[in-house]
Amino acid sequence: MDNQSIFQYSLETFPKKWVHLMERSEHGNRFDTNTDYLFKLLYFLKFHTYTRVQVLIDICGVDYPSRKRRFEVVYNLLSTRYNSRIRVQTSADEVTRISSVVSLFPSAGWWEREVWDMFGVSFINHPDLRRILTDYGFEGHPLRKDFPLSGYVEVRYDDPEKRVVSEPIEMTQEFRYFDSASPWEQRSDG
Amino acid sequence: MTVPATRNDLMIVNMGPHHPSMHGVLRLIVTLDGEDVIDCEPILGYLHRGMEKIAENRTIIQYLPYVTRWDYLATMFTEAITVNAPEELGNIQVPRRASYIRVIMLELSRIASHLLWLGPFMADIGAQTPFFYIFRERELLYDLFETATGMRMMHNFFRIGGVAADLPHGWIDKCLDFCDYFLPEVAEYQKLITRNPIFLERVEGVGFIAEEEAINWGLSGPMLRASGIPWDLRKVDHYECYDEFDWEVQWQKEGDSLARYLVRISEMIESVKIIQQALEGIPGGPYENLEARRFDRVRNIEWNDFEYRFISKKPSPTFELSKQELYVRVEAPKGELGIFLIGDNSVFPWRWKIRPPGLINLQILPQLVKRMKLADIMTILGSIDIIMGEVDR
Repeated sequence: MDNQSIFQYSLETFPKKWVHLMERSEHGNRFDTNTDYLFKLLYFLKFHTYTRVQVLIDICGVDYPSRKRRFEVVYNLLSTRYNSRIRVQTSADEVTRISSVVSLFPSAGWWEREVWDMFGVSFINHPDLRRILTDYGFEGHPLRKDFPLSGYVEVRYDDPEKRVVSEPIEMTQEFRYFDSASPWEQRSDG
Repeated sequence: MTVPATRNDLMIVNMGPHHPSMHGVLRLIVTLDGEDVIDCEPILGYLHRGMEKIAENRTIIQYLPYVTRWDYLATMFTEAITVNAPEELGNIQVPRRASYIRVIMLELSRIASHLLWLGPFMADIGAQTPFFYIFRERELLYDLFETATGMRMMHNFFRIGGVAADLPHGWIDKCLDFCDYFLPEVAEYQKLITRNPIFLERVEGVGFIAEEEAINWGLSGPMLRASGIPWDLRKVDHYECYDEFDWEVQWQKEGDSLARYLVRISEMIESVKIIQQALEGIPGGPYENLEARRFDRVRNIEWNDFEYRFISKKPSPTFELSKQELYVRVEAPKGELGIFLIGDNSVFPWRWKIRPPGLINLQILPQLVKRMKLADIMTILGSIDIIMGEVDR
């Protein structure tokens, strides 16, 4: 069984209302689903005999600020039994809560923490939803498109206070943007 | 005289971010009942550098120097996956000679990574000697890399469509010499370590992962293969030119730390086999022969053909990523290293998600140490083989 048959089989088997978009391409097949049906779809994919997608490879968050439901959460899955991969995607906005799949795939624990930390998408029923990669006491969700690359605060060790302090960022050099796509020579005065 | 009372409550001990061994900055908060471990909580994020956000603002060629800093011991794999992603997006074929050079570099990098896993693993257990031996071999690898790529560790060697430069004169002979030198060295390690009773006491039966558990927790790489599942992306995905070589997937059934050690040692030997076959079968042969044939009096079209090329140093800096999503993966020495790439019809990717094997493999640590003694934590942590550079990105 390869990618296409597992995709085709699952399409024919589960209720149509579970996916509202499917796409197949040579780069991988994907299902787009609603947050309500996400857990059911993953449960089906994991336990059904002819799909047996037992390995959760990756949970990825993507930010499309131009859309109404700006975040998209992508679950990359792998079936070692049938050697095929499939992607399940759902969209969410800042306040939607997605049901956690930790009970299905234990490896989702840290991935969901990372999506929460980086994007701000929270998960219901997650045993331990807190920040994982950012600093203690960090405010904001870094991978959103409206968060600047340099961040808002910088840290330094303050000798009088004998600890590390966070201060608003101080740029000693003006930000220079180099347009790599344009063939014209870039000059700093624009 | 009052007799001091013995307290029975649990101790919470912090194994702070700084470690004497080379795992990197990982903080473990361990709850102990005497010598038994009740719970262990890893805290990450000390090496988080925002690699994914930086990727959204760099072209691929600008981003290549960053990627070697994820897994800084197996650098060729991070570069390989960074160029594999746009290559698959744009359906770019890689010449066969470049593919062979890539495979040779990747397997040398795998040997280097497993060597530098072995040293700190033995040092954590208490044996200091192998640490020096592995660095002796690693220095030879650094020399090979330096002559081929210019840098000892952070090579920046791979390009979209091939490699940056062809192998220098005499490199193939040097590499074959290294392979001949290395195999008896691995035998020396095995004589020193594998049947050593102290080592076996520390390592056998420690950190057992059952087959079902390994699949559920999403493990990959040697951790999965040591639990009885012969899953190797090089065989399963048929990428680069691994199919042209004769090699086996190394796996064990026991699932404890000893099995992981055995898998990695045999992977090193298998890598040497692959390298020897690749060096003998490289299209065009050593660079001096290829050069001579190209400049031959009767100009033979074959030696200038696509298959005998590497790619030169300057692909277009404005390589546009089309608006597609794809997930590429490679069998890194630690596990399955993957990139989920969403292009945006521009030179910058819209989303560059790194799937590090270390993050997933580390997640199982709290469960593994639950019934173990304090000293076993380091053994298990060492056998998982993590690099915080890729866990935290």
